[in-house]
Amino acid sequence: MKTVVIGLLGTVLDQRGRSAKRWEKWRPTLSLCQHEDLLVDRLELLCQELFRPLAEQLVADLRITSPETEVRIHAVEFADPWDLGMVYGALHDFARGYPFDLDQEEYLVHITTGTHIAQICLFLLTEARYLPARLIQTSPPKKPNHQPGSYQIIDLDLSRYDAIAARFSREQREGRAYLKGGIETRNEAFNQMIAQLEQISIASTDPILLTGPTGAGKSQLARRIFDLKHYRQQVAGRLVEVNCATLRGDNAMSALFGHRKGAFTGALSARSGLLKEADGGVLFLDEIGELGGDEQAMLLHAIEEKRFLPLGGDSQSRSDFQLIAGTNRDLLAEVRSGRFREDLLARINLWSYRLPSLRERLEDLEPNLDYELERFAERRHSQVGFNRTARATYLQFALSPEASWRANFRDLNASVTRMATLAPGGRITQEVVTQEIARLRHNWGGTDTPSQGDPRALTAPLLEAATHAQLDYLEHVELAAIAEVCRQTDSLAEAGRRLFDRSRERKRSSNDSHRLRQRLARYGVEFEQLRRAAKGE
Amino acid sequence: MLTIDGSRGEGGGQLLRSALSLSMVTGRPVRIEQIRAGRRKPGLMRQHLACVRAAQAICGAKVVGDSAGSSCVEFRPGPIRAGSYRFVIGSAGSTMLLLQTILPALLLAEAPSSLELEGGTHNDMAPSSDFIALSFLPLLRQMGAEVTLELKRHGFYPAGGGQLQVQVQPWRERRPLALAEPEAVAWREAVVTSAQLAGHIAQRELGRVQALCNWQSEWCRSEVVTSAGPGNVLSLRLHHRQHATVIERVGRIGIAAEQVASLAVASWRRLVAAGVEVEEHLADQLLVPLVIGAGGTFRTVRPSSHLLSNLEVIRAFSGCSITLDQQATDVWSVAVEGAG
Repeated sequence: MKTVVIGLLGTVLDQRGRSAKRWEKWRPTLSLCQHEDLLVDRLELLCQELFRPLAEQLVADLRITSPETEVRIHAVEFADPWDLGMVYGALHDFARGYPFDLDQEEYLVHITTGTHIAQICLFLLTEARYLPARLIQTSPPKKPNHQPGSYQIIDLDLSRYDAIAARFSREQREGRAYLKGGIETRNEAFNQMIAQLEQISIASTDPILLTGPTGAGKSQLARRIFDLKHYRQQVAGRLVEVNCATLRGDNAMSALFGHRKGAFTGALSARSGLLKEADGGVLFLDEIGELGGDEQAMLLHAIEEKRFLPLGGDSQSRSDFQLIAGTNRDLLAEVRSGRFREDLLARINLWSYRLPSLRERLEDLEPNLDYELERFAERRHSQVGFNRTARATYLQFALSPEASWRANFRDLNASVTRMATLAPGGRITQEVVTQEIARLRHNWGGTDTPSQGDPRALTAPLLEAATHAQLDYLEHVELAAIAEVCRQTDSLAEAGRRLFDRSRERKRSSNDSHRLRQRLARYGVEFEQLRRAAKGE
Repeated sequence: MLTIDGSRGEGGGQLLRSALSLSMVTGRPVRIEQIRAGRRKPGLMRQHLACVRAAQAICGAKVVGDSAGSSCVEFRPGPIRAGSYRFVIGSAGSTMLLLQTILPALLLAEAPSSLELEGGTHNDMAPSSDFIALSFLPLLRQMGAEVTLELKRHGFYPAGGGQLQVQVQPWRERRPLALAEPEAVAWREAVVTSAQLAGHIAQRELGRVQALCNWQSEWCRSEVVTSAGPGNVLSLRLHHRQHATVIERVGRIGIAAEQVASLAVASWRRLVAAGVEVEEHLADQLLVPLVIGAGGTFRTVRPSSHLLSNLEVIRAFSGCSITLDQQATDVWSVAVEGAG
């Protein structure tokens, strides 16, 4: 790697006269090439034409002091070195035209010389990566006889500074949209859905139906709708969450609608029920498809009349709540099969939103990853972050078709929790990520172990492992089909007739047994052996 | 591969240079680790890098780790190639230390070599070209090696830009060095060499030397030379029959001329008190040539950490015996068994 410094001629600091005295004075550009531990292979010296004589004197002194350094003078013109637009333009032109060779050379931008405006411009250009460089700042010696002073190299890639990275994430957390829970989602369809849902949440008290696969975030969304309503002072009551899959039998009725004392055996005291608890607030019924028929009828009544009869009671309870229902089932299909009431569906299907799976909105995986990390950090009161390469590795896997995200955001949450817990010193390392990827692969069935129905699984018991591993997918399919036929027949000839059922018609004399034997020889197996193996004998 | 721990002993550039010299002449690859590990700025500095690259050029070595700041260098030498070379060192780094690194190899080459060196010639941290010409090369000549040095332009710190021409003849007849008996002092002199500085500086330095040592004014002289940048060096010389013992101090901004002279005189007095003919730095320079030559003996002051580190490196490379024998408080006899 060669070291190349780009810097402006210092018309004041580099200007120390022509007498021998100049060697006693600190000259920042010269000092760059005087350090014992910094070998500048090339210096790109930017100067205005007006100052060329000074630049040439400096170059002559540089050649003596640092013969290893090649110096090139570049003319840059700005009539007013204090005009930001002008200086930025000139330096931007230089940066755009410069043939950076990042494989062979590393660049340092010298910011000690030039006007403050020029320093600001160099900083901005470096920060924006127009100058793919680190900054170098030179300082005069503390004592006059200790040339060449000192230098400092500053990397503007802030992600390299852990303390700054932590500060950024804290600031980002503030001022975020409620419904997305602060997640900067990028999926267009999802964002539109959220935008509409926000309006509905504020404008309507009608039921909302949230559908979508398990782990797509229905409960989360229900909670945020409530938070939003609460924040806008639309609800005075509380959020009551119930998973209907946990309600069974008498217990279901009583849990939802309450009971009077002595309503049934064991009803030692009265219970108001969840619907009553949600009065003035929001009731979130998750997995509503799991609700029994009686409960469905009672619920419909409660929604429509805002009244219901507790178990064993003779007077109706009143409760005014907004219902949010969640399900991963196809409720229309449930209605057709008679498992869900059509009138209830019609009532709750007014505002229906289908939450996409994680795989359907992969562009939101990264913001959700950050969100999960922040949540973890909040719970544990300590920052957790990825190393840069570890993050890239994880995302590459997470976004690949291999990652099925079967349980959607639930999988992601679990994955982040595992990595954050194992992160040494709050940094998720490459090692942690590698282990996590292996774990996810295992959880999702991986590619190394074929799933049921995969012909490779079917042929595995028929062949030696070494032979099995060598076959093409197509060959596995063929062999699996042959094995199936062999399993159903007792003779080679019969199996051959079935397997070559069309082509044998076109042949004048067909020897099906011979053809099948030849075919099987390709796989190194014989009919009897195959038949017995296929029958599991 | 032979491994040298660069942080041992004096833990500086000397270990690196000796290891490079010996690797070149023995043909043995060497790995120098932890280069200058204990120093404020550890690793290879530019002047060391220049030595590595010069050594590489002369024997076509394969080198790993030759970059500024590197803490480990692997050096696999090839055959030594005599010829004409030009080496430059930036930041007024010492051309003489570079010469010291490559000279043993060039002496053992089949043909003469011609070197053009550019960089620093008079630097407090290294022997000056005057020191090499008056003190070191005459002793090499006694050992049968023909090396001539011509200073074309002085190179002072911080500007540098000095120029030298060095001719090296193949070392045909290797003779042992015998300096065991103190020689009669022929004459002594104090010389100030200055460039681009006011004349009173030289006068004040010489005045202080006269006052401290009771020297006559005709033993003192001042020379003005041309150089890229300003500079000043005071040199006290004790001329023996064949070589001179040289004590030097380079003037610096912030140190009074009188102070420069006092420091030089203090070193001078130590040498005179010991009554030895090889001063501390010269002893250091002589070890490697004696080992690859026919050996020899000399007397010097108490061994410096440089010398002891040098010894360790030499022992790592060769089976040659080097014995140190204390004869008085500050008098040590050094006997080297040569390989040639």
